[in-house]
Amino acid sequence: MNASHPTAATITGVRSLSADTTLFTLTCNDRAAAGKVASFLPGQFLELSLPGIGEIPVSYCGLPSAEGMIELCIRHVGHVTSPLHRAAPGEAVGVRGPFGHGFPLDSYENQDLLLIAGGLGMAPLRSLLLALLKQRRRWGELTLLYGAREMGALLFLDELRQLALRGDITVQLAVDHRTHCLEGPPNCRVALLPALLDQLTIRAERTCAALCGPPVVYPYLVTGLKRIGLSDERIHLSLERHMKCGLGRCGHCAVGTLLCCCDGPVFSHARLRGVEGALA
Amino acid sequence: MSVHFITANRLLQLLHLLRQRGELHAPLRGADDVVRFAPLAAGILPDLDALRTLLPPKKYLLPPRETILTYRDDTNYQEPQVTTIPLILFGLHPCDLAGIGYLDRIFLGEDPDPVYASRRAALTLIGTSCSPDQFCSCHLQPSSLSASHDLFLQKTDDGFAVSSGSPGGDELLGTLAELIEERELAADDTRRYFGNQRKLPPQSELDPSLPDWQELAEHCLGCGACSICCPTCYCFDVLEFGGLDGRSAERLRHWDNCLFKSHAQVAGGASFQKDRAQRFRYRYRHKYRGFGQLKGIPSCVGCGRCREVCPAGLDLRPLAERLERGAS
Repeated sequence: MNASHPTAATITGVRSLSADTTLFTLTCNDRAAAGKVASFLPGQFLELSLPGIGEIPVSYCGLPSAEGMIELCIRHVGHVTSPLHRAAPGEAVGVRGPFGHGFPLDSYENQDLLLIAGGLGMAPLRSLLLALLKQRRRWGELTLLYGAREMGALLFLDELRQLALRGDITVQLAVDHRTHCLEGPPNCRVALLPALLDQLTIRAERTCAALCGPPVVYPYLVTGLKRIGLSDERIHLSLERHMKCGLGRCGHCAVGTLLCCCDGPVFSHARLRGVEGALA
Repeated sequence: MSVHFITANRLLQLLHLLRQRGELHAPLRGADDVVRFAPLAAGILPDLDALRTLLPPKKYLLPPRETILTYRDDTNYQEPQVTTIPLILFGLHPCDLAGIGYLDRIFLGEDPDPVYASRRAALTLIGTSCSPDQFCSCHLQPSSLSASHDLFLQKTDDGFAVSSGSPGGDELLGTLAELIEERELAADDTRRYFGNQRKLPPQSELDPSLPDWQELAEHCLGCGACSICCPTCYCFDVLEFGGLDGRSAERLRHWDNCLFKSHAQVAGGASFQKDRAQRFRYRYRHKYRGFGQLKGIPSCVGCGRCREVCPAGLDLRPLAERLERGAS
């Protein structure tokens, strides 16, 4: 089966995460194909087909699975994701992937890791976080900074509360503005995400940062990270583009002369330096 | 230099023999005065003096809109059965051959595209030589594109020196034995232009503050004609249409255009190429610097179509000559 051909999968789990965001669990119908499409590195993406509607690139949100289970966190904003809002277990979809380059786990060995997620950027970073926690002893200190618009938009709060109990990871949350009716979780400030960087104490020479957030936040985060001593090579970020084919052919995801689908979507900041339009 | 030679008065015989092997298409000037690749009927001579067809031969490999997958709820997504008949394209100029060579690198590389591959396998490419006019730049620019062809006919005063460029071409040449004579030609009488075969060294990023971008953007009408007529513009959009039965669907790819606002739009309406100058740089990078794996390989084959069709008379060449000078 060639790389542009989706393999059949079924929605087996639907969990609402916020008013406009859902965590779907898919299971590949064919075990042989499952071995390929459900084996990925955090930060890679797949192409999800909703028959009769279209196909979209989506980041993996969970852990690789030999059983062909795939978790995808989807916000209902586009022509494919909006109809997905009504999708129920049992519905047929198509998947193909994985595509692109994920976060460089091997280079993270023995390093302190700083994960910074903004909004829906938590989706691919959850995949990274789960992978890191699975092999906790390979890495140094783990810190997660996660910001969203408001309390109700913070995703995976239940999981983050559990994480805070572990003691081997620091979690700090931020919301842009307070909503009076929702009680904030511990460690949640009213602040913009880059402001959280100022209160961090890190060992810059052995810290790597993994970022995923809306384009608007990247220049501020990169500036903040460089101010606390991180080099360009130690900052990795995931870029959002509309990868329509995933194979470097459709021409929609070019960033400078780099292609987000094949060269990315995770890039080191060193590689993006001076590339027009890479950071908003 | 001894060459295989077909005299000009045997051209109709040659076309007759080629027609035995499949559908024969060649440049023809229509009643509307437009030159296009079209089926060549028996007894008609192709227009070998016309320098360029309005659309390049990419239309045979990447039709403007085509089905790439079909869906049925019982069979899931399936590749369509593309019925390809053997097609012989006669009278391709070196730039168009180089254009097909570039498309081959995109669509037949890793994970070959099955629809493209089946169309490509049905093609026999027969090139003819030409002399550049004021729009052509094949003879000026550094290019690492090599032209792929089965046969190449190099024009001389009274006929064509014929050479083969593939095993298929060798075999085809064998079937034309009755038309071919051996002749001595002066070795320097090449009259064919493939550009210089060079890969460009890494270049610094484009400078968005150059006034040229704004100037180009201000004059550009955003019609996208330059991309439509470009032999190496292959950007495509992917659309899916559900059947009225609610159980089937068709996935199409159709030509997209980097000069259109919609090209870099994402869900919610945000765009990564908001203004026209950005879109111009996008096009420039693709044509002169290459994307992804083909980075450093310019895809402009110098056919001159974009310069000829632009209603605003825009031309990226002078800028390219200035920006890429260090590299050539």
